[in-house]
Amino acid sequence: MQQKKMAAPCGRMASRPLLQFLSRFSRSPVGNTGFRQFSSATVCRAAFQINEAAERANSPWTLMAAVCLQRLPVISADCSPIEQQFKQMLHQIELEKSVLSDHELRLLEDAERMSRKQADDYDSDEEDSHGDQEIMMAQDLEDIWEQKMKSFQPAPRVRADVDKDLTSAERCLADSLVLLAEQEVGDEKLWLLPQTRWQEGETLRQTAERALTSLPAAGFKATFLGNAPCGVYKYKLPKAIRTENSIGTKVFFFKAILADGAPPKTKTAPFLWVKKSELQKYLKPAYMMKVERFILDL
Amino acid sequence: MSLALSRCLCRVLSRQAMPSSSLLGEHLHLVQSAWFAPVMTLKTSAPLRAEPKKKKKVDPRREQMLRERLKKKLKKLEKVPPELIPIEDFVTPTKCLDETRERTAPRLSFEESEGRALLLKEWCRYKQKQHMAEVEAVELALEAQREALEELKLESEELYRAALKPDPLLIPFVHEGPTYTPAIPNYDAPDGKYNDITKVYTQ
Repeated sequence: MQQKKMAAPCGRMASRPLLQFLSRFSRSPVGNTGFRQFSSATVCRAAFQINEAAERANSPWTLMAAVCLQRLPVISADCSPIEQQFKQMLHQIELEKSVLSDHELRLLEDAERMSRKQADDYDSDEEDSHGDQEIMMAQDLEDIWEQKMKSFQPAPRVRADVDKDLTSAERCLADSLVLLAEQEVGDEKLWLLPQTRWQEGETLRQTAERALTSLPAAGFKATFLGNAPCGVYKYKLPKAIRTENSIGTKVFFFKAILADGAPPKTKTAPFLWVKKSELQKYLKPAYMMKVERFILDL
Repeated sequence: MSLALSRCLCRVLSRQAMPSSSLLGEHLHLVQSAWFAPVMTLKTSAPLRAEPKKKKKVDPRREQMLRERLKKKLKKLEKVPPELIPIEDFVTPTKCLDETRERTAPRLSFEESEGRALLLKEWCRYKQKQHMAEVEAVELALEAQREALEELKLESEELYRAALKPDPLLIPFVHEGPTYTPAIPNYDAPDGKYNDITKVYTQ
């Protein structure tokens, strides 16, 4: 059975309630006296952009974009006990309600023929001549198929040693994993979703893509799911560092799915692939609260 | 037509005029007939020509209309509705209805049938919990996205609009779903040969 993970729908669904606020744009009273009117097509584009730049310069929040790179499950998850019970019961019911198949009929006929052969009053002339078909009994066919199946060795579902290696993208194939990178924020090194600062002239999604490619020894091929961010985390700088122009940072998260083909692993790369249940050990609580909402572990 | 008629009339009139002009002789007769002919044609042409022309227009038109109507009737008769393609899945093959294939239905003990009923109810509850959890998770994710878009709007209108634009490169998105065992790297699958005997219907 195939499962496809869909990220939270971007674009239309989220923007429907937002489009209802198509009224005058108003800024928070942080220090911007020049209110810009929400423009229609009649306003000159250049003036618009100048205003835009002026506004961004006034905003006290620095913008950053982060990428939530997920490796989707590669194998199907194990059944829980109730699922196993139900599976067995369904199998039994199906067997009871079914009709004998060709192969089973053949088995029964062969068994009958064998018992007739072994009876004392066996007369081979009475038998219909099947010719060469006599040689291959249905049971033999079954044995041949068993042998062929045994000669094929599938890859093991669970490998305990790889599961423990947190840096490998092949661990825990039945769950979806998220990439964490150790980055410097302020003075400390923290584990968080790879992020980078926004620059003028690019959209936030391009910033997120840059965050992914600028990771050391990366080479991850990812498909970004849409242009809209899936989450936001904002924090204020400690009061000592706060100035007029920088109160804090807003980090916008973008979802991406790792394309097939795990990149070559380098031992020193500061990455972690973690399940949602393990995220708590590495992320700060406030950050974790915002991030766990959009990471779906279904 | 008009010429023939006028000629007939001419002859008739000339025959009538014969006894009166018999004394005059051939020349006069000829002159008379010659003189009559154009006059005849002039006199008889305009009203006479009108009628046959009407007939000319209407007759071929009527014939054409008849022919068209006949053709349309023929086409309607020939239009047979296309035969419906039979859905193979809905037709039970006669092999399954063969009586020799029936299994001996085992008799279920009371405990087992009770167990099955209880298991079905457990399953129902389990699935409902699963579904509610899924719905809740999706709602949380949507809420997170809505918040993000609001914050972005407060920040910068341009970036907000860029975020709302649909991504044309995303669709079609293809991803191989989970299998039972992971893929063996560099595995050379043996070629499977098969004869495709599916019936193809054309309408």
